[in-house]
Amino acid sequence: MSAREPRRATPEASPALRAEGIAKAFVSGKVRTQVLEGLSLSIDAGELTLISGPSGCGKSTLLAILSGLQKVDAGRVLALGSDLTALDSHALERFRLRHTGFVFQGFNLFPALNALEQVALPLHYLGLPDRQAQERAMQSLDEVGMTPRIHLRPGELSGGEKQRVAIARALAKHPELLFADEPTSALDAANGQIIIDILHRIARSHGTTVLCVSHDPRLTHHADRMLSMEDGRILSDRRAEPLHHEA
Amino acid sequence: MVALARKTLIHEWRRFLPAILAVGFAGLLQLLQAALVLGIFSSASIYVTGSTADLWVGYPGTRSVSLGQPINPDVGMHLRMDPAVARIEPFYWVDGNWRGVHGSGGELVYVTGIDPRPDGLMFSRALPASLRARLVEPDTVIVDRADVGKLGVKVGDTAAINGRRVRVVGVSHGLRALGGVNVVTSIDTARQLTTDPASVDHPTYLLVQLHEGSQADAVARRLRGAPGFGPYDVWTARQFARRSVLYWLLDTGAGAGVVFMAGIVFLVGAVITSQTLMAAVAGSAREYATLNALGVGLRNLRWVVLEQAFWVGALGLLGATVLGLLLLAGARSQDVPVALTAPITLVCMLLAMSLAAVSGLVAMRGLRRADPASLLR
Ligand SMILES: Nc1ncnc2c1ncn2[C@@H]1O[C@H](COP(=O)(O)OP(=O)(O)OP(=O)(O)O)[C@@H](O)[C@H]1O
Ligand SMILES: [Mg+2]
Repeated sequence: MSAREPRRATPEASPALRAEGIAKAFVSGKVRTQVLEGLSLSIDAGELTLISGPSGCGKSTLLAILSGLQKVDAGRVLALGSDLTALDSHALERFRLRHTGFVFQGFNLFPALNALEQVALPLHYLGLPDRQAQERAMQSLDEVGMTPRIHLRPGELSGGEKQRVAIARALAKHPELLFADEPTSALDAANGQIIIDILHRIARSHGTTVLCVSHDPRLTHHADRMLSMEDGRILSDRRAEPLHHEA
Repeated sequence: MVALARKTLIHEWRRFLPAILAVGFAGLLQLLQAALVLGIFSSASIYVTGSTADLWVGYPGTRSVSLGQPINPDVGMHLRMDPAVARIEPFYWVDGNWRGVHGSGGELVYVTGIDPRPDGLMFSRALPASLRARLVEPDTVIVDRADVGKLGVKVGDTAAINGRRVRVVGVSHGLRALGGVNVVTSIDTARQLTTDPASVDHPTYLLVQLHEGSQADAVARRLRGAPGFGPYDVWTARQFARRSVLYWLLDTGAGAGVVFMAGIVFLVGAVITSQTLMAAVAGSAREYATLNALGVGLRNLRWVVLEQAFWVGALGLLGATVLGLLLLAGARSQDVPVALTAPITLVCMLLAMSLAAVSGLVAMRGLRRADPASLLR
């Protein structure tokens, strides 16, 4: 469908993400909350991995650490072979620019920009020339089924459409790693389903490693692997039936 | 390139309006203040700027035209010997006491005795030839339109200056004086009005016209300080005009007042502008944070804020310019003294733009809220 090559040829390749004994605590005033303690985890490339668990158990914190948005107190994070814990903030920005995409619960779109501009904006910072940025943005928007709406601003889009634009924005960079935190929780069932399908397709067709935090039970049918967390630890780690694994 | 800063400014113009207005009004206030002060104090040099002399010769150390002292008329002989000099014309300055015929008044007047011939140098720009010609008749004077009310006279009336009767034969425009009232008369009449008999033959200034006006600086240097004629000094017209305005600006404290006011206006404008910009940045903090999560550097985001500040400054300045031109035109039609020079206008514009820039720099702090980790909760 697109000229894009899957980045990871086989799912058995070396893990895209590896956490080794990471610990994270938050201190507010005199209260110290140990959110993660000695957590180790390995995520394979080209898979859609789902993390679920009760509120406040540390899912978002784990995502922030694995994506290089937050520092760890102890342990190491290896992403695509780089040790994120050893990079300074500037190098982390560069790493994220080249390799990671994000989808948040809120859509976080600029009210003044239309869908095409939202998606093209980060591409300019990647150094793509105008024409190429436009083309890639169109391609991404097409992939999420937003081609008829590329000239509309967020104010003129539905919630589901906004989230699709946000996904296109993350996708247009051709990231190896895509992080999504509760991407469907602000949406109704039908729109949630569309978003899930899109994330699923991204992992399958582009070989993107998708790490998604969600409570949404519908998502479990699409995941290659399901992790459930509690109190900063991983309680269970289940793989989907091989039937879901066919390419 | 997606013009994020500009598009946001247009889309959310209501949000940016206070900042644009703040920059605009700050710029306008600076501009009007400068125009007013310059306008008022440029009347200190109207004697120089309203005349066509290339050089002014007067008592050494004279700091303003109105502070002149009599000089030895023989200086003129020395000047005349210089081949660059085309013409020399004396100019008398007499401080006088004006009384209306009905005993009204007691106004301090600056009597300026000029050569009333059509080609006279003094006030050749400020007075039309037909008007100055009326001064050929002895004991006649011209008063300014702005002072007619103060002096309580109209054309044809008589009054007394230093006890001598004079008749008003005309009304001038734009010869308003600082701290007194200008009364123009002929050299001969001015000499009659002098209260100090010793200075009747001593003009206050000698006006010099050169064959080549462009050589004024060199000739002034050459003619300065020849011995044997008593104390005198030579200035180019431009130097002397500057000197007079600066004297008033500095001596009255107006200059310090202008700088002080400009500082206050700058501060208030910067506070409003930076707060507005900061609020706008904070309002888009989540979007900026998302860009940062996607790897767009903080430095690039700062540029977006600075660009926004630039547009706010440019728009404010545009409004200030339009409004300022209208107000200045209005002031001129009402005889309010206003004057603007290109450098002063440029300085005001630079001040307004630096106000916007400073505000942009301050508003960058709003980006601290754009922490991408806060999007993951
Ligand atoms: N910046 C912070 N400062 C202090 N405490 C924090 C901070 N971020 C997270 N926490 C705490 O860490 C714990 C885990 O937060 P986290 O956001 O990872 O939970 P979560 O699993 O994503 O929950 P939810 O499902 O409700 O989103 C919470 O108890 C929270 O209060
Ligand atoms: Mg969370």
